[in-house]
Amino acid sequence: MSTTVKLGIAACIVSGVTAYMAYVGTMTSWKYYLTVDECLADAPALVQQRVRVNGRIAVGSLDIANDRQRATFKLCGTNYELPVTCAGPLPDNLAEDLEVVVEGQLDAAGLLCGEKVLTRCASKYLPETQTATAARPQTSTEVRHR
Amino acid sequence: MRFMGQVCLLAAFVSVGYAAFACLYGALLRNRKLKQTGLVSALGGFVALSVVMVVLAYALLVKDFGFQYVVQYSSRQLPWHYSLSALWVGQAGSLLLWAWMLGLAALLFRFWPWKKPSELRDPAFGFLMAYCAFLTATMVFAADPMEANIAPSEEGAGLSPLLQHPAMLIHPPIVFLAYAAWAVPCALAISALAFRRPHGNPLEPSLTAAIGPSAIDSSWVRIARPWALAAWTVLGGGILLGAYWSYEELGWGGYWAWDPVENGSLMPWLLGSAFIHTLMSWQIRGMLKKTSIALAIAVFGMCNFATFLTRSGIFSSLHAFSQSPIGWLFLGLMLILGIGGTVLLVQNRQSLVSENRFNSIWARESFVVISMVSLLLLTAVTVVGTLSVALSEAIVGRRIIVGPAFYNNVLIPTGLVLLATVAPAPLLRWGASPTARQTRAILFSVVAATIIAIIVWLSGVRHPLGLAVAWLAALSVMMLIAALFLESSNRNGGRPWRGLLSTLVASHRLYASFAIHLGFVCIAVGVTGSSLGSRQHELVLTPGDEVVWAGRSIRFHQLIERELPDKFIVEAELEIARGEEKPFRLLPAQHLHRLQDQWTTEVAIRSTWSEDFYTILHNGEGRDAVRLTFVENPLMRWMWLGGWVIAVGAFVRLLPSPGQERKKHPPPVSHLQEKKTRKQRKRRELETAKS
Repeated sequence: MSTTVKLGIAACIVSGVTAYMAYVGTMTSWKYYLTVDECLADAPALVQQRVRVNGRIAVGSLDIANDRQRATFKLCGTNYELPVTCAGPLPDNLAEDLEVVVEGQLDAAGLLCGEKVLTRCASKYLPETQTATAARPQTSTEVRHR
Repeated sequence: MRFMGQVCLLAAFVSVGYAAFACLYGALLRNRKLKQTGLVSALGGFVALSVVMVVLAYALLVKDFGFQYVVQYSSRQLPWHYSLSALWVGQAGSLLLWAWMLGLAALLFRFWPWKKPSELRDPAFGFLMAYCAFLTATMVFAADPMEANIAPSEEGAGLSPLLQHPAMLIHPPIVFLAYAAWAVPCALAISALAFRRPHGNPLEPSLTAAIGPSAIDSSWVRIARPWALAAWTVLGGGILLGAYWSYEELGWGGYWAWDPVENGSLMPWLLGSAFIHTLMSWQIRGMLKKTSIALAIAVFGMCNFATFLTRSGIFSSLHAFSQSPIGWLFLGLMLILGIGGTVLLVQNRQSLVSENRFNSIWARESFVVISMVSLLLLTAVTVVGTLSVALSEAIVGRRIIVGPAFYNNVLIPTGLVLLATVAPAPLLRWGASPTARQTRAILFSVVAATIIAIIVWLSGVRHPLGLAVAWLAALSVMMLIAALFLESSNRNGGRPWRGLLSTLVASHRLYASFAIHLGFVCIAVGVTGSSLGSRQHELVLTPGDEVVWAGRSIRFHQLIERELPDKFIVEAELEIARGEEKPFRLLPAQHLHRLQDQWTTEVAIRSTWSEDFYTILHNGEGRDAVRLTFVENPLMRWMWLGGWVIAVGAFVRLLPSPGQERKKHPPPVSHLQEKKTRKQRKRRELETAKS
């Protein structure tokens, strides 16, 4: 057997194992990635499915528990709003009118039970509209340690 | 001052644009005067870009809110060093820094005093200038750093508190420096393909006769290698700094989240690792030529793809990005590179035939191929994972995103294969199986590594992956030691101890390369340890409480509150003791940044060679009670150490080789073998020509 053939077999084995591991990883970690409007439009089919929903926190809707381990808010889409409840550690910069990504499951009542909420690092390559918002003093008066 | 900046930006665009045209057209016509005007123009363009940089930096330092950019990214309270770092935080500023660094790299490349200058220097410089013109054009037409602030402002938005970290002061510039440096090998590769004059050069018949009517000018390989290594090292340093920032600043206990932006910089680094090794195969064995050319273009294409990821705004990411057309410009450039590169590669395929065959599966080039396959697979998986939303929508009509498990699963086999190919490298030869002495040294290393792995098992490590990595890491070290002793023994008549240091000095570049491998092994050890052995515990404590966790006694003394001009600080004073060790104090904190009205988590870490003890203060829980998380991350320090080892190894590798040393000492066995092979090849060619 020539060295080239041996190398080909080795490459095939490595590729095969990698492809299998990628398949297993996909099966255990995939989620639907949706906007708020898509999530609500397809809600019946998505109940109890793992979803990742992207939207903006509606102004006046954010309520963070004192222990900062739970938050409820409404996620705005273009036409609809999706109620969300999140349990677990919350990001430092969670605030109203902020774009976030919520990972979790949709329940039968149309509530998104989030396990993880991701905010974006502010100010790096921000679009101008958002920068203008950032320049404005925020209204949140929550002091965490009082 | 702003007007001067605008004029200089426009002048830079025109100058580098002309430089690109003059150098490329001049190289095509072999018109020296035209090329010289191009060089002068390039110098002028670089000076103009430097003026723009100085103007913007000065505006940031003096908080000149007449600049829109200063309003967006600075504030009166911001310390001067963070104010200066705002230069590369915004879109326009980062493009300016990138263009300036590219100009610097291009001039360094063009005017470097090479002993054997290449014909490809001018066209490659022309391609670099064309890319610089592209970057400058994006600033002139889409992201002007000199834009005026129309509404009068007394205060700016300030820099995000999360970006106010020492690692963030240098992370972006070195990533841009790496992207700029990666342009050089790509420009050389394209020049080698485009300027090979397949049908002879009517203007210079002597050149055609010298390199042959269809020969590729291989001088690019010699010049591209140090640039590739430097770019790879700098990019790796940038990635590690980003990971360090994430670990220290984001306060989640981890350092890598497989975010599209992280993936964006990882992909060119992975491809670059493969490229460096295929380039060696070309230079030493005349093999993997097409792959090397393809990888040179792909690495640079990936740098542009990373820019597309960060600036198109179409990806779900932890980072915030603009939805500007700039990202699409970079994607367009990447597509042009991809299509153009493929066409050139196909046109030149006859000239890129391997000069040698794979003689043995145990030869070094065979291991290069296997490691290259692993790196390409890992890159492909990263690309697929990053683009999973777009790909799934195109294929199944639903947008699906994959989680970290997808990447981590693939990292296990590919990482193990990479470690397995790295470990025996010092005892392998180019073009042939190891000699009998080398084989004995390999067997000795395997036995020694197995004993070390058993010791690791006895110390309590039971995870098969942990044991496999420990065995491969030990094997890498043992093989390197064995190779050093073997070479020293060859040089000193069988007495390896006598000339160990002189061998190391004489072959310092070779051993620096192996040190880079060791750095990679350190990173692998750190990643494995922190992934497999990490554990955390969350609890609420009141002052005076003491808990025992992970063999440590943790006492919460008090909550300290401090008021600074720009922020309010709350710290939890913890005293931690383990066994007979001296107790130490940690102060995890929360900072309230007044300007942004934003809390940030400031973790406190106690780092040792065995593990990091990582503490996070979350929030208040009623009267003086606080919620804390403790994380134990084993072997984290080895990861940062790996970065330093790679940096030092690359620095030594890039040092010029002393010519006299070569005469005094014979090169290592593999080089001798290579010379012999070359001579045999030349003799065969002569005989064929005669017959």
